[in-house]
Amino acid sequence: MSPLLDVRDLSVGFKIFEGYLSVLNGVELTLGEGERVGLVGETGCGKTTTVKSILRVLPMPPARIAGGEIFYRGKDILKMKRREVQTLRRMELTAIFQDPLMSLNPVFTVGTQLRDIVKDSLGASGKKLTKKQITARCIEALKETGMPDPERIMSNYPIQLSGGMRQRVCIAEALSTTAQLLLADEPTTNLDVTIQDQILRKLDELVEEKNTSVLMITHSLGVVMDLTQRLYIMYAGTMVEEGQTEELFASPLHPYSQGLMKSVPKLTGEGVSDGIPGRIPNYLDPPAGCRFHPRCEHTMPICQTEKPPLFNVENGRHVACFLYRS
Amino acid sequence: MTDTILVVDKLKKYFPTKRGTVKAVDNISFSVTTGETIGLVGESGSGKTTTAQCVIGIYPPTDGEILFKGQTISEAFSKRSKALKRDIRIVFQDPGSSLNPKRSIKQILSVPLKVHRVATKKDHLTKIKSLLAMVELPPDEYMYKYPQAIGGGEKQMVAIARALATDPSLVLLDEPTSALDVSVQGKIINLLMKLQQDLNLTYLFITHDLSLMRNVASRVAIMYLGKLCEIAPTVEFFQNPTHPYTKMLLSAIPVVSQEEKALKPTKIASRGEIPSPVNVPSGCSFHSRCSEKMDMCAQDDPVMVEIGEGHVTRCHLYQDTKVAASIEQEEGVHAQDPVDQPRGDG
Repeated sequence: MSPLLDVRDLSVGFKIFEGYLSVLNGVELTLGEGERVGLVGETGCGKTTTVKSILRVLPMPPARIAGGEIFYRGKDILKMKRREVQTLRRMELTAIFQDPLMSLNPVFTVGTQLRDIVKDSLGASGKKLTKKQITARCIEALKETGMPDPERIMSNYPIQLSGGMRQRVCIAEALSTTAQLLLADEPTTNLDVTIQDQILRKLDELVEEKNTSVLMITHSLGVVMDLTQRLYIMYAGTMVEEGQTEELFASPLHPYSQGLMKSVPKLTGEGVSDGIPGRIPNYLDPPAGCRFHPRCEHTMPICQTEKPPLFNVENGRHVACFLYRS
Repeated sequence: MTDTILVVDKLKKYFPTKRGTVKAVDNISFSVTTGETIGLVGESGSGKTTTAQCVIGIYPPTDGEILFKGQTISEAFSKRSKALKRDIRIVFQDPGSSLNPKRSIKQILSVPLKVHRVATKKDHLTKIKSLLAMVELPPDEYMYKYPQAIGGGEKQMVAIARALATDPSLVLLDEPTSALDVSVQGKIINLLMKLQQDLNLTYLFITHDLSLMRNVASRVAIMYLGKLCEIAPTVEFFQNPTHPYTKMLLSAIPVVSQEEKALKPTKIASRGEIPSPVNVPSGCSFHSRCSEKMDMCAQDDPVMVEIGEGHVTRCHLYQDTKVAASIEQEEGVHAQDPVDQPRGDG
């Protein structure tokens, strides 16, 4: 069975005044039908760039796709015509971004925006509904997200809502369409833990109900633990490790993943580890070979010259590290 | 109790707005012992930062008193003595905006030295070098750099060095690591802990990250809508949370391992959002989201009750335990766990 989404050896860079920023360096990612996959990494490791490449919303220039393919149901998104991509975005793909205030239009009411989306996605599939039916569907979509008093919210502007409610509106927008794949880019990073808990549970329910596939992007490890089946760890524009979420948490293999897992403060109260020395490399002049080698404690001569491919380790886990070359 | 460095007594800070008075901090009392780390935890809008800002003097309190080393410091920042300003320092959340981008690190660090006359002009350079060495940044490499040229973690190190330049005894840490990645956070936290040991500092640590507090604080205080809900020593707090809000917060923490999951209280579905501070619910301000709400909660505001060694909570569920505990104490029976009783009823 071919996967729903298949990103192969994707390299994306940005041409800026200072030179060429090589951000994504051979990203590999697959996502099956109905699967929930997490993508974890630090700030600036290229998570959002990956999502934007999949949606094809990167501004070009300055962005440039240096190589690779993104297959959605066997068709390469990067080679599609503009029209086709638009249809894809209307019908198949949907996204929730980090800051709902940025993704909602401040000068239109929630109702107007939601109605537009419902109308558009229905229009693309050839159905026609009356205004009343559309409004009813919007209210239903808001209700599904657990929004109190959806009728009133429809006539509110985004600034009149709290952060959690705005994010609920975004979720309602994303899931009111017929979308098959949800790209959630740090959907709860700006929210408090209690609100985060509510939003994630609701998202979990809705996704389960509609059988949507999810690519969950976050830097919070606790969030992916609960919500995803499989996990990718990303560092400086490359995937360093892939595996079933629980296994990966129980025994991270890549030195970077190990450092990352150790740095999370635990409720068991055994103190905080020192984290990983150094910081994410400058993309103008990234280190040759494995991009993690300047910060790695197991660095070997080969790490400085060759980029490690994803080695297959036992039970379907993949690690991009020469330590696991068999 | 050893000596108390800071006492916040019935502190109130109200902000008049067009839509009504915002009760940012409403009648909170707590004390901080020398050398400890007290964690002030709450959601955004709960008044954590306003509390810190009242202590440092950015806002004069509307009512109530703040005592620092036995003296009242409730006046505005401009009226405070320099000695006092030297003794209480603050580290802000976002080092990107709290460090002047047009000044080099050497210039940034020399400001407190000049203002507080910590060192003579001749000694400035050596003092700056020793400050940078203290926060584990190689002085010669970093001194002439500008904030934009260094990473977020390093910037926060500089901000910490700046706070420690005047040799303070109380440092307010206002979410010092929440703008940083986890892999950087560890280093900063460990450095702060080491400095606390070396320099005998007292920390008022403001954060929304309870897992971090488990590892750092000696006591934890939970704030909700300008009021304190529960204060307890850290170990007790995580083993035996009493206030429904605390339980809700604890069960909402995303965790990464099974051992941690076992430590969380049974799942309490979090619901509702923090209400607007202009329109605080009557009675107990948490009753609109509480899972164990009773009739009286909407009318009467509960008071702080001590239910264990240094463990106080503000909830109607525990209002009678105070009486029970005092009777038991009189009878000479050591109250093992006075919490069990009301929990069974709930």
